[in-house]
Amino acid sequence: MNLENRKRELVKEFSPMLEKTSSLSKIWISTLIAIILVGLYAFILQVIKGHEITGMRDNVVWGVYIINFIFFVGISYSGAFIAGILHYFKTPWKNSILRIIEIITVLSLVIGPIFILLCIGRLDRLHYLFIYPRIQSPITWDIIAIITDLVGCFIYLYLTFIPDFAILRDSPDLKVPTWRKKLYKFLAIGYHDSPTQRKILHKITKTMSAMIIAMAIVAYTVLAWIFSLTLQPGWNSSIFAPYFIVAGLYSGVGVIIIAMYLIRKIFKLEKYLRKVHFIGAGVVLLVLSLLFGYFTFSEYFSRWFSHKTKDIDLLKTLFSRYFWEFIFANYIGVLIPIFILFFKRFRNIKSITFAALIAVLGLWLNRYLIVIPTLETPYLPIQDTRPEFIYYTATWVEWSLSLAGIAAFLLLFTLIIKFVPIIPMSGIIENERNPKKNKKRIKKYLTEE
Amino acid sequence: MKSNLLKYTHIASFIIALLFSINGATQENDASNYKMLFNFKTVKQNDNSRLLEVRFIAKNRKNRKDKIPVYDAEIKFFTILNNEKKILGTAKTSKEGIAQITLPKNQKYLIDKEGNIHLTAHFEGTNAIDRREKKITIKDLQLELNLTEIDSVKTVLVKAFTIDSLGVDTPVDNVDLFIAIGGMLSKMKLEEGSITNGEFKYEFPTDIPGDVNGNITVYTIIEDHEQFGNIIQNKTINWGVFNKQITEEKNTLWSDAAPIWMYIVLTILLGGVWINYIYSIINLIKIKKEGEIIELKLEQ
Amino acid sequence: MKNNKPKKGSTDRRKFLKLGLISSLATVAGASLISNLASASEGKEKLSGEKVKLLTPEGKIVEVDATNINKYPEALITPTESRKGIPNRKFVMVIDLAKCKNARKCVESCQKAHKLDYHEEFMKIQLIQDNEQASPYWFPKPCFHCDEPPCVTVCPTGATFKRDDGIVLIDNERCIGCKFCITSCPYSARQFNWGHKAKFDNQSQPYSPETQVPATEGTVMKCDFCPDLLRQGKLPHCAKSCPMGVIYFGDKNEDIVTNGEETVRFSQLINERGGYRHLEHLGTKPNVYYLPAVNRQFPLERGFNVDEDIIERYKDVPYVQDLKKQGKI
Repeated sequence: MNLENRKRELVKEFSPMLEKTSSLSKIWISTLIAIILVGLYAFILQVIKGHEITGMRDNVVWGVYIINFIFFVGISYSGAFIAGILHYFKTPWKNSILRIIEIITVLSLVIGPIFILLCIGRLDRLHYLFIYPRIQSPITWDIIAIITDLVGCFIYLYLTFIPDFAILRDSPDLKVPTWRKKLYKFLAIGYHDSPTQRKILHKITKTMSAMIIAMAIVAYTVLAWIFSLTLQPGWNSSIFAPYFIVAGLYSGVGVIIIAMYLIRKIFKLEKYLRKVHFIGAGVVLLVLSLLFGYFTFSEYFSRWFSHKTKDIDLLKTLFSRYFWEFIFANYIGVLIPIFILFFKRFRNIKSITFAALIAVLGLWLNRYLIVIPTLETPYLPIQDTRPEFIYYTATWVEWSLSLAGIAAFLLLFTLIIKFVPIIPMSGIIENERNPKKNKKRIKKYLTEE
Repeated sequence: MKSNLLKYTHIASFIIALLFSINGATQENDASNYKMLFNFKTVKQNDNSRLLEVRFIAKNRKNRKDKIPVYDAEIKFFTILNNEKKILGTAKTSKEGIAQITLPKNQKYLIDKEGNIHLTAHFEGTNAIDRREKKITIKDLQLELNLTEIDSVKTVLVKAFTIDSLGVDTPVDNVDLFIAIGGMLSKMKLEEGSITNGEFKYEFPTDIPGDVNGNITVYTIIEDHEQFGNIIQNKTINWGVFNKQITEEKNTLWSDAAPIWMYIVLTILLGGVWINYIYSIINLIKIKKEGEIIELKLEQ
Repeated sequence: MKNNKPKKGSTDRRKFLKLGLISSLATVAGASLISNLASASEGKEKLSGEKVKLLTPEGKIVEVDATNINKYPEALITPTESRKGIPNRKFVMVIDLAKCKNARKCVESCQKAHKLDYHEEFMKIQLIQDNEQASPYWFPKPCFHCDEPPCVTVCPTGATFKRDDGIVLIDNERCIGCKFCITSCPYSARQFNWGHKAKFDNQSQPYSPETQVPATEGTVMKCDFCPDLLRQGKLPHCAKSCPMGVIYFGDKNEDIVTNGEETVRFSQLINERGGYRHLEHLGTKPNVYYLPAVNRQFPLERGFNVDEDIIERYKDVPYVQDLKKQGKI
C-alpha cells in the first residue's frame, strides 16, 4: 500500500471533524459555556460569602465537591490503567478507543482537582501546601500523586499525538487556518516516521505505559487512604484501597462506553467503533460489576454481621435516610449491568450503553454513600438543634458547580477532538502495515459487524 | 389668699422636682440597698514581714450574688495600746476592693502586758457609706520550718513559739496548721495537724515528683487562728522524685519530622517516576533532533 | 403684698440656684472620678472591653472598663513562639461526672473569653446514655489534647501541632481550611468558621494561637486549654467558672490537679475514683480523664433547668424520650 496515499485518504476522511464547526456543535458549545458561566457565578458567590452558602456544616464538612473529586479522579485513573494495559495487547481493535480513553484520562484529572479547590476554606493560602508540606498527611501524598500522574498522563497523551500531528502537518488537503498548521508543525517535533524515530517513540511509549499503570494504582490507593486511614466508622476499612480501584475502574469503563456510543453516533464512525468494541467493553464491565458487587457486599456484610454499635448506627442511617440511594447504588447499579451483560442475546450496543449509564450513576451515588453517612454518624452523637448541622443537603451552589464541572469536561473534550482526530490515524496505518501478522484478527475485525 | 397658694405651689413644685430627681438618680445607683462587708486580716509572710489586708465589699441585700467592690476608699491601719494610737499606714482599696500594707519584720508595735498586739483598720465614712472599723488582736508567733533527713527519713519539722517581754521563747500548744506543697496553679495540702509543745513533725511522702529538677516548695501554714492570725513559712528543697521520661517522641506521625522510612519511600517512588519522565523527554528531544536532520535532507 | 412677691421670687431663685450648684458640683466630681478611673486604667493595662461595677466612697455605682486579664499585647505569644510549649509541663484535665449538673457555666465563660457566638461551643455538654439500662450522665467534652492526635497527623500544612506541654493548638495563619482534621477527630472536638462574621474584623488584639481571638474565616478552631491563662498561673476559664468544681486541671509532671477549691494528687484521684479516658481503644491517648458518675451529687433532672432549645438537643437520648412521654419536660 502506498503510505502517502493512505495518509491522504485518512486525512480526507477525518478532515470534516477537524475543519468545520456545524451549527449543532456551535449550539452545544454555547450551552456548555452557559452552564460553566453559571458555575463561575456560584463560585464567585462562594468566595465572597464564604462556605456558608454550601450545605456543609460542622459535622458533615465534606460534601458534593469531594464526591465529584473522587469520581472524576477515579475515572481518570481507570482510564490510565486501561490505556496502559491495552498498550500491551496486540489486537487491532484497540486502536479506535485508545485516544478516547487517554483524553478522558487527562481531562478528568484536570477537572477533578478543581473540585477539591472548591472545598478548601482559604484559597489564598494554597501555596502553603508547597512551602510547609507535611509528608505524614494523606493529603500531601494525594497532591504529589495527582501532580505526578497529571504530568505523566499529559506526556503519554502527547506521545500518542505525535505521529498524527506529523500526518496532519504533511497533509496538503487539510483546510485549516495557518496558525493551526504551524501549531501542528511545532507539536510534531520533526517526526518523520523514520525507523529510528519510530523505534525511540515505541520505546518511550512502552515505558510510559508501564509507569502509567503503576501510577494509576498507587495514586488512587492514596486517595482511598485519605478515608481509610482515619478512625471513623465506615471509613476505617482495610479493603478501601482495592475497593476504590475496582470501583474506579468500573466507573471508568462505564464512562468510556458512553463516550464511545456518543462519538460513534454523532460523528458516524461506525466503521471504527464497532460492535466488537462494545462487546469487549461490555465483558470488562461485567467482570468489574461482579468485582464491585463483591467488594461492596463484603464491606457492608461484615459490618452488619459483626454488629458493632457504630457500624449498626451507620447502617441504620444508610437504610433509613438514604434507602433509595443505597438500593440504586449497590443493588440496581450492580445487578442491572450484570443482567444485561451476562446474557449474550441482550448484548447489543444500545443495551450495553444503557448498562454503562446505570453503572456510572450508581457509582456516583456509591461515592456519596461512602462520604456523607459516615460524617453524619460520628462516635459521639451530634446533639444539636439546627437541622443543617445534623443532616447534609447540598445547595444550588454545589449542584451548579458540579454541573459546571461536567460541562467543562465535555467542552474540553469537544475542543480537543476538533484539534486531533479521535481515531488515531497512525494507528490505522500501523494495523494495515502488518497484515501478515494479524491476518486472522484483521479478517475477523473487518468482517464482524 | 393668692399669695398663700403661690407660696404652697412653689414649695410643692420644688418638693416634686426634688422627688423626681431623687427617683431618677437612684434606683440601684447608690449604696442604700447594699450591706457593707469589711474584713480585716493579717498574714505573717515567709520573710517575717506582716501583711495587713482589708476586703471592703458591698453586698446587695436583695440579691446575694451581686457583690460590688468598694474602690478607692481610704483605709487607715493603727496599732492601739490603751489610749495610745500609732498609725501604721494607709492604703486605698483596689478595683477588687482590697487595701493592703506590708510592715517589715522589725516593725515596732505597741504590745500590751500579755504580749498581744491590737490592730485596727479604719474607714472614715462618707455621706453615703458609714464609717467602718475592725479590730483584731494577735500575738506574734514565730514559726520555723525545717526540712531535714532524720535517720534517712525526710521529715518536716515545725517549731512554733512566742517571745515574751523578757525575750524568752515560749512554745505554744494546740495550734492547728497544715503542711502543703506548691504546685503550678495552687498549693496542695499534704497533712493537717496541730502543734503540741511547740513542735510538729511530719514524715514527708517519698513519691512526690516536684518540678523538673526535683525541687519542691514546702509550705507550713496557720490559717485564721484567732490568736495568731495567718502565718506562712516556706522552703524549697530537692526532695522530688521526678522521673523525666527519656523517650521523647521525635519522628512520629504527629511530630514535625516524619518517620525516616517515609522520607525514604517517598524519595524512591518519586525519584523513579520522575526519572522516567525525564528519560521520555530526553528521547523526545532526540526525535526532534533527528527530525531536523531529516527535514534538512528533504529540503535539499 | 406687692412687696412680698419680689422677696419670695428671690428666695425661690436662691433655692433653685443652690440646688443647681450642688447638683452640678456633684456631676463634675463624679465625672472627674470616672474619667480618672478610665484614664488610670488606660495608662496601665490594656482594656478588655468589658465593664466592671465598682462602688465609690461617695456611694455611686460606676461601670469601668475591666483590665484585660490576658495582658496583651505585652504578653503576646506569636504563632511561631506558640509552637513551643510552656516548658516542663504536661497538662491534664480531670472531669468529675458525678458532680456535673449541666449548669453550663463552663460553656458560657469559654464563649465569653474566646468571643464565640451562642452556638459555637469549644466545651460541649452532651447527655450520654451508654445503653438502655444505664443511667445517663452529663458529659462535658472539651478537646482532649490527645498524646497521639489523629488531627495533627493529617494536617497537610502543619497548621495544627502538638506542643511539648501536651497542648494541641491551631495556627489560624497557616490553616488552609481543608477540614481534614475535623473529619479525622473521633471526638468531634473541632469546628469550622463557615462564613465571615463581624467579630473577625476586630483587630484590637493581635492574633495568637493561644487565645484564638480574633478568629479567621475559613479556618478551624477548638478548645485550647487556655495557655494564655496558664502562663499567668491561672486556671482555664471552664475550670475556674464551674460552680460545682467539676473540672480539675493541672500538670501531670508534678502530679497535682486543682479545681480552684480542692487541690489533689492526680494519680491518687484517678486511682481512687476509677478515672478513665473516653474511647480508649481508639489509641488516641487523650489527656482528659473522666471520673465515673457514681454517688452523684445531684439527680439528673437538675440538669434540665435550661432553655428549651438546649433540651431539644438531647431528644434522641432514650431517657429524655421517656421523660417527655411522662410529661416531665
